[in-house]
Parts: sequence; structure tokens; C-alpha cells
Amino acid sequence: MQWLYLAIAVVFEIGVALAAGKAEGFKNRKWTAITLVSGALGTYFLSRALLTFNVGVGYALWTSVSGVGITLLGALIFGQKLNWKKALGIVVVIAGVVGLQLSGAA
Amino acid sequence: MSSNNSSAANAWLMLLLAGVFEIGYALSVGGSNGFTTLTWSLVAVVFFLLTLWALSVALKTIDVGTGYAVWAGIGAVGAAALGPVFFDEKLNLVQSLWLAVIIAGVVWLKLADKTGGEEEAAPAAVERPQAQSAGV
Repeated sequence: MQWLYLAIAVVFEIGVALAAGKAEGFKNRKWTAITLVSGALGTYFLSRALLTFNVGVGYALWTSVSGVGITLLGALIFGQKLNWKKALGIVVVIAGVVGLQLSGAA
Repeated sequence: MSSNNSSAANAWLMLLLAGVFEIGYALSVGGSNGFTTLTWSLVAVVFFLLTLWALSVALKTIDVGTGYAVWAGIGAVGAAALGPVFFDEKLNLVQSLWLAVIIAGVVWLKLADKTGGEEEAAPAAVERPQAQSAGV
């Protein structure tokens, strides 16, 4: 169940990243509101995930998987180039998540 | 360039502050027990607003990729280091190493976004001088 909560929290965190980019330093009210609501919902689901995960583990999983998601979305939807540097970062994060799970921390 | 030095220094100070707020956010969200503990929940809301505010101010001057890398890096390392101090948590050496791999991966990824997103950087570049002059 903690992985499901984490996944939902990741989706909202990606929403925060996309909305914050359009909020123009919180001058655009609509996108600022979307940023805050998405952040609040993401925070709630992160807190559910952290009922099971350690704070350090859960938080790192949340930020890093969100980061991978943002980069992949940028490439798939917004046509940003997925260069070897980004690909390496994604592979390292995934290796870390798998390693952490195999070591029993997640 | 030299006239921007003090505002650049302030922006980096603000980014470090945002990182510290992010540690507070992570720890208090963890301590809120799924938002059932009132005190920790209120502290979490305060840190949530503080970290977003400080980050948004810092990102007026600092590149988004660099800013997110430093911010998330400080938050993740801080949460992992201080989690066992505040809560009944344990991480063994192997788990800590994998945690370090993940954090290194996301910091690297965000730094790569800085150099890789040149097509997307155009609209932000138009906005940035305005934000800077407003801040000085």
C-alpha cells in the first residue's frame, strides 16, 4: 500500500513542478492555486507513505522518482531532448530505488 | 556582472534556507503520522509554505535546474541524516549507500536539465531580467 501512496504523491509532485513553472513567481493566481493544491495533496499522500517508509527513504524515493517523471514527461510531451546525461541520471535513480528495495529499506 | 553579485549571494542564501525548510517539511510530514498528529501537521503546513516561498524567490535569480538540484539534495540528505535523530528509524550501511545513489542520481538529473533544456529556456530567459530588476 505504501508504494501506491508514494506513486500518487509522485503524480501530484509532478503536477507541482509543471504548475509552478506557469505560476510566474506566484504572480499568476490560477497556476499558483493549482501549485499549492497539488502540493498539499502530494504532501498528504507522502505522509500516508511515510507511515510505512522511513522519512529519509520515503522522501528520497518521492523526490527522485518525481524528478525522473518530470524529465520523462518533458521528453515525451514537451519535446525536450533526452540526452545521455539525463538518461544516466534516470538509470542511476532507478538502480538506487531497486537497490534500496532489495536491501530491505523500502 | 559585479552589480549582480550581492543579489546572487542573497539568492544562494535563500536557496540554502529553502533547503533547510525542506528538511523541516520532510521531517514534520513524517512526524504527522498521516496528518493525524495536530502539532506536527501544523508545523508541516508552515514548512510547506516556507520552502515553496524561499525556493520561488531563489529561482528568480538561480537557474531552475541548479536550484532544484541543490534544494532537493539538501532536503533528501537532511531527511536521511535527521530521521533517525527524531524518530525510531534505522538505516544500515548498505541502505545508506543506496540512498546516496538515489540522491546523487536526482541531483545529477536536475543539473543535466540545466544544460539540456535550451529550447525550453527561451521563455524563461525573457522573464528573468524582469524578475531580477524587480528584486534589486
